Amino acid sequence: MNFAGFAAAEVATLFAVGAAVITGLYLLRMRRRQVVVPFADLWQRVTAESDTRRLWKKLRRMFSWLIQLLLLALICLALGDPRPDAWLREPVTLAIVVDASASMAGVYTDEQDDAQAEPRTRLQAAVSRARAEVAALGPADRALVISAGTEIRVPAPLSRDAGALLRGLDNVSTTEPGEADLGRALDLAANAVSDQPGGQILILTDGALDRASLAAIDRCIAGPVTCQVKQFGGPAPNVAITAFAARRYPDDREHVEVLAEVQNLGEAPVSLTLDIAADGVSVGKNTLQLQPGARQTSTIRDVDAARTKLVARLLPPPSTELDPDDPTRGGLGPADDDIAYAIVPPLRPLKVALVTDGTNLFLEAALLTLEDHIDLSGVAMPEARPDHPILAEADVVLYDVGDNPLPALPERNLVVFDPWRRVDANFLIPRQNDITRPFLTEQLKDHPLLDSIVLKDVNIRRGTSFALDQGDQALVRSIGEPVVVLRTGSYQTVAFGFDLRQSDLPLRVAFPVLVANIINYFEQSMPGFVASVPVGARRPVKVAAVGLNADGLSSVEVLGPEPGENDASTTIPSEVVPLQDGIFRMRATQPGFYRVVAADGPHAGTEVRLAVNQASASASDLRSRLPELGPEVVKDEAPTPVPLSEGPLWTLLILVAAGLIAVEWISYHRRVTV
Amino acid sequence: MGLRTRLFGNKQPDRDSGQDSENLFDEAFLKQLELLQVIARRLFRGRNRAERKTRKVGSGLEFADHREYSPGDDIRNLDWNVLMRLEQTLVRLFEEDEDLPIRVVVDVSDSMQTRSGDKLRQAQKIAAALAYVGLSNLDRVGLVCMSGKVHATLPAVRGKGRIFRIFEFLKSAPRGGPTDIRSACKRIAAEAGQPGLTIVLSDFYDMEGAFDGLNLLRFRKHEPVAIQVLDPVEADPTASGLRGDVKIVDCEGGDGLDVTLSAATLKAYTEAHKRFCAHLEASCRSRGIPYFRADTTTPFDDLVLRMFRLGGILR
Repeated sequence: MNFAGFAAAEVATLFAVGAAVITGLYLLRMRRRQVVVPFADLWQRVTAESDTRRLWKKLRRMFSWLIQLLLLALICLALGDPRPDAWLREPVTLAIVVDASASMAGVYTDEQDDAQAEPRTRLQAAVSRARAEVAALGPADRALVISAGTEIRVPAPLSRDAGALLRGLDNVSTTEPGEADLGRALDLAANAVSDQPGGQILILTDGALDRASLAAIDRCIAGPVTCQVKQFGGPAPNVAITAFAARRYPDDREHVEVLAEVQNLGEAPVSLTLDIAADGVSVGKNTLQLQPGARQTSTIRDVDAARTKLVARLLPPPSTELDPDDPTRGGLGPADDDIAYAIVPPLRPLKVALVTDGTNLFLEAALLTLEDHIDLSGVAMPEARPDHPILAEADVVLYDVGDNPLPALPERNLVVFDPWRRVDANFLIPRQNDITRPFLTEQLKDHPLLDSIVLKDVNIRRGTSFALDQGDQALVRSIGEPVVVLRTGSYQTVAFGFDLRQSDLPLRVAFPVLVANIINYFEQSMPGFVASVPVGARRPVKVAAVGLNADGLSSVEVLGPEPGENDASTTIPSEVVPLQDGIFRMRATQPGFYRVVAADGPHAGTEVRLAVNQASASASDLRSRLPELGPEVVKDEAPTPVPLSEGPLWTLLILVAAGLIAVEWISYHRRVTV
Repeated sequence: MGLRTRLFGNKQPDRDSGQDSENLFDEAFLKQLELLQVIARRLFRGRNRAERKTRKVGSGLEFADHREYSPGDDIRNLDWNVLMRLEQTLVRLFEEDEDLPIRVVVDVSDSMQTRSGDKLRQAQKIAAALAYVGLSNLDRVGLVCMSGKVHATLPAVRGKGRIFRIFEFLKSAPRGGPTDIRSACKRIAAEAGQPGLTIVLSDFYDMEGAFDGLNLLRFRKHEPVAIQVLDPVEADPTASGLRGDVKIVDCEGGDGLDVTLSAATLKAYTEAHKRFCAHLEASCRSRGIPYFRADTTTPFDDLVLRMFRLGGILR
C-alpha cells in the first residue's frame, strides 16, 4: 500500500490533530436548551431510565466518539489517496486472443483441478482464464478480446470497463469448425496494442494448430509486443472424417462412387459406425475398428447419381449409446468433424484435344474408349497453333507429334510424347540425355498417374531423359534418369521421353489404363473438380467447376446451409461475391451444403450446390503442437487480481465515510444514537 | 414569542397575570350568578341567620318540634291549642335558617402561572364566581390564596356588596412558591374556626400531596370540593413540535432533567398526565369528594353555568 496524496506521516499528523479536537469536543459538556415545565416530577417519572439503559447511553456516547474517529480516519486516508501496489505498476494494454477453433471443443484437464470437478471444454477453460485476466486488470489497464476461429471476431473492443469485457467474453461460448486463423488474429492484436502503453498479447489456445498458426505464434513471440501463450490441453480422443467425396464412374456417369476417409486421431482404439446417406437415405453403413493413428477409407460403390447430396456421419457402434454427459462422446471427440458433406459432381465432359499426324491409332483408340465423359477433338499438326480455338478451350492437349517438329505449345494442361525427338525442339522441360533402348527401372507406384500400372517390362527403342527443375516429379526413371516427368503449376505437363510408336507400350494392357489415369488425373486435379470446400480462409472456386456457366457472369451469391440441413445452430447470412476470370473466392464458416446462385448474366438465378467440410486432419487433431515451438513458449503464470478493480480507493473511502455520516444522521434524527 | 414560551411559558411567572379581576364578569353574567346557590351535602352550623336551613332550632318559619315549657321561654311560642286541649304547656320550636360557611382556596403557586398565567386566571374567575353565588345567598364566604403555604386569607364576608372586596383580594394577594397541597390544606384546616364547604382550585401538580390535602380537609369535617384547572397544551405536549435534547426545569425550582424529547417521549408524558388526573379523580370520588376538571380553553360561562350545575356544586 502506498500513498499517492499526502504522505503517511502527514496523514498520521492530520488524524492525531483531528482526533484530539474531536475528543476535546466530546469531553466538553453538551449544552442543552432549557425548557421550563410546571410538573417536572411527572417528566422525571416518564423519563426514568433503567440502569442498563443508562449504561447503554454512556456506551452510546463512547460509540459515537469512536464513529467520529473512524470518520476522521477515513477522510485522512482518502486525503492520502492510498493505492495498492498492483495499481502503481505501469498501465497494461492486454489483447486476449481466444482460440475458438474446433479443437477447443475437446475436454480440458488440469492437474491442479480437482478430479471430481465437472469436466469443461478447452474453450470454457480458456474463457475462465480470460475472465481471471480481466479481473486482474488495474484501473488504468485496458484490454480487448479477440475470438480466433475461422473468422476473426472482436467480442469486446479495447476498453477499461471490466463489465463490457466480461459481457464480450460471454459471447465466446461456441467453437467454430475448422482451424483458428491465428495469423490474422495476432496481427489484429498486435496492431491494437503495439502503440498502447504496456502492450501485451495473451494467447489462450489448446495448441492444436496448423502450421500457419504455429508460425504466427512464433512471429508474435519474437515480435516487439510481449506475447504469452497459455495452453489448455487435455485428452485428445477424436475420430474425424478427413475426406469425403463422390465421383462419377468414368464409364458409368449415372452412378457415383463415394469415398470417405476416417482417421483415429486419439491414442486409444475406437469402434464406430460410418453412416453415409444420400438425400436422406442411408446408402451405406460400415462398422470400423480403428487403432490409434489409423486411417481407414471406406468406399460406397454404385450410388445412384440422381441422389446429389451426400452426408457422412460417425456414430457410436450400434450396441452403444452416447452418454450426453460424456465430453469425449465415446472417444469420437468434437462433433464438428464427425459429419461431412459431399455433392455429386456435375456432369461435364472433359475437353481433350489430340494433336497428331494421324498415325497413332492406338492412342486415338484408347481415348475413344473414354469418349463417354470426355469431349475429344483432333487437331492436325499444321493447324496446331496455340491460338487454335480447340486448343485454347481444351482442358488437356495431347501432343503425339512423332518425327514432326514440335509446334508451339498453348498454356494448357499438356501431355507430350517424345518432345525431344528433334534437338531443335522448344520444350519447357529441358533435355538431358539421349538413351538407347531405355529400361524403365523405377516408377512412383503411388502416383495416381501410374495407378495399377507396371512399366518395367516395356520395350523402348530409344528415348530422351529430362533435366528436372525444382518441383518437377520424375514418375518413371531409366536407371536413375527421368524418362516420364510431371511438372506442376497453374497448368500441368506430363512429358514422356519416348515415342509410343517406338515402344510396345500401346500393345500392353497398361496402355489404356495409363490413358485413363491421365484423363482422370487431369479431371480431378483441375480446379473444376471441387470435392468440397474446406471451412476457413477464402478459397478460390471456379464457377464452371460447380456447374455454373461463367458467360456474362460477374458475381455470384453464396448462401449458407438451409435451416435443418446441417447441425449448426446459427444461420449464415448470404454473401454476394464478385467473379474474376470465372473464379470467385468463397469463405465458409460452417460445414454443410452451400448454394451458389448466379447473380447476373444470361443465366442469372441458376443455383448449384456446394459441399463445405471441416475435413482436415490437422484441424481435428486435438494434440498440442506448441512443443514444436520450444518448451519456453507456454507460460502458466496465474494472474493476480487487484484488490479492487474500480478505483481510485480514495473515492471508496469517501463513499464509506458518507455512508457512515448518513447512518449517523438518520439514526440521530430517529433518536437512536443520542 | 418562542416555541418554548408558547408551550410552557416563561420560567418566571408573569406577576401581572390574573390581576384584571375587576373585569371578571359582566352585568348579565352576574345576574345569572345571583340565581345560583352553592350546594353543601352536609348541614353546617352557621353563625348568622340566613337562607340556609340548619340543624339548629330557632326562629325560623318552619315548625320543627315541641318541648316542655321551661321558665324563661318566650310565651309567644306556647302552643295555645295544645294547652287548651291537653292542658300541657308545650312550646313550639322552629328550624333556624343560617348561613353556609364557604371557603374558596386558590392555588397561586408558580405552576399555576405558566403560559401567561391562564390557569391562575381561570381559577380566579371560578373562585370569584363561586364567591358571588355564595354572597348572593347570604352565605359567609372566605378566600385563601396558597401554594406551599397560606399566602393570604380573606375572612368570611357576607352580602353581595363584598364581592369587590373579594376581587381586590384576588388581585392583590401575594402569589408564587412551590405547590404543596397537603401543607396548605393542613394550615387551612387548622386556621378554620368553623368547618364548611371548602373549594380548592388548583392544578394539583403535587405528586404526593394532592389528594392527601383534600383528604385532610375531609377529616377535619370540611366538605372539600376539588376543581383541577388544567392547560390542555401542558397536559398534551405532543402537538407542540418541541423535539431534541433539552434540559427540563421545573418552574417551581429544583434540579434540571436532561431529556431527549421525541414523539414517543411526549406521548408517554401525555399518557402519564392522563393517568395522574384519572387517579386523582378516582381518589376524590372514592372518598365522596366532588371533583371537576376545568380546562383553560373551556368557556368560563359554560363552565360555571352548566358544568358546576350538572356536577351538583351549584343549583
